[in-house]
Amino acid sequence: MTVSNRSTSHRLMHASMLMALLLSLIPWPPAVLLLQPHWVAMLVAYWSLNAASSRVMYVAFAYGLLLDVLMGSLLGKHGMSLVALSFLVTKSARQLRMTSMGQLLGMVLVLLFNDIIIRAFIDWISYGYKPVVYDLLPLLTAAFIWPWLKYLLDRFQVAVRNS
Amino acid sequence: MESLTSNQKVTQSPLFKFLVLEFICLTLMIADKNHQLAQPVRNTLSLAVIPLIKIIEWPQELFDITQVALSRQASLIEENTRLKEQLLDARFKVQQNVTLAAENERLRAMLNASGNSPLATSVAFVSNINQHQKRQHIIIDQGSSSKVFTGQAVLNLEGVIGQVDVVSQTFSHVILITDTEHALPVEILRTGLRTIAYGDGQKLSLTEIPTSADIQPGDVVVTSGFGNRFPRGLQVATIESTAVSPDRTFQTAVAAPLARIDRLSEVFLVWPGE
Repeated sequence: MTVSNRSTSHRLMHASMLMALLLSLIPWPPAVLLLQPHWVAMLVAYWSLNAASSRVMYVAFAYGLLLDVLMGSLLGKHGMSLVALSFLVTKSARQLRMTSMGQLLGMVLVLLFNDIIIRAFIDWISYGYKPVVYDLLPLLTAAFIWPWLKYLLDRFQVAVRNS
Repeated sequence: MESLTSNQKVTQSPLFKFLVLEFICLTLMIADKNHQLAQPVRNTLSLAVIPLIKIIEWPQELFDITQVALSRQASLIEENTRLKEQLLDARFKVQQNVTLAAENERLRAMLNASGNSPLATSVAFVSNINQHQKRQHIIIDQGSSSKVFTGQAVLNLEGVIGQVDVVSQTFSHVILITDTEHALPVEILRTGLRTIAYGDGQKLSLTEIPTSADIQPGDVVVTSGFGNRFPRGLQVATIESTAVSPDRTFQTAVAAPLARIDRLSEVFLVWPGE
């Protein structure tokens, strides 16, 4: 990969992460909000898989802190869960790339579940939050969105690289 | 998985970076939770997210501007007359209140009671940004740069809304009184009975009323001023229904907030009088 390719890939990464932040800020009716996937976590998973380098962890950390400021949560809560997600994906990125789409989807869902668990645990420690079943609904939408997200971003990257 | 070769440093390994970042996060969380030490970090980062908030608010602003531009003059004149009538009405009430306030002051002076200190207020606008936290938060457009502080009382014209929970440089998060973690010291206006109102997600529940106390649906609940967060005598809610707790030791009551908490556009911030 040449230097220019790497920088366009970086730019694409930051653009998509900002889009994910915006998507999570758009106000929806309460019924839709229950199903809203954790966009930033999905994007972090995608870019960790794609780049397979530990540098994405810094990106995950930075966007996690931004999300914390936006949501008014404990500073570092989203940072912690996203860094953990990025680390786990990066560690097994080479194996994950070899697997089929279905297995990859399963693995991503497990990691997103782990992300939810970490955040619920931090909430529980900090103010005694008791998790409810509805917290797992975003996983359902994530399962539907992930294949499309991966396909679109892959195609987009190829298009950018070729142009 | 990458194995470390002898010429690679430990600091280059992903595991090391992971541990360092998690340690930073943990430190930040503890600092934020306990001592407000992370406030400078939050203030700095909040400057970076302002463009994002502006982008989300932009369609709403555009809608408002177009609405004003397209609305007919006749409807504006109509609205103007209506507002003038409301103003006259309000002024008349203020005149009545002036004499009452003077009388009240005289009586307080005779009783040597402490007077009500005047309150400083300021208007803040509510931003319609989605919050996927499990708490009932709203975002207002004033922060530590306008001297907003944690625990500050937030009201609107109908009644108490909540208190400031997290402060950033130019915006802050307000926790609503209906949040399940929120407790508000209140007083029943009719009887002067003091108790605590807990949020239950939708409404307020008063769970610690003595069985002998007189409370009935329709009673107005006001802040009692205990805890020194909310000034005394602000309207909060009206009692909807009462019941006896399962073990028959207390009465319980459900109260509906007077402010329409799901559709807020502007709120007042209250500073305690000097």
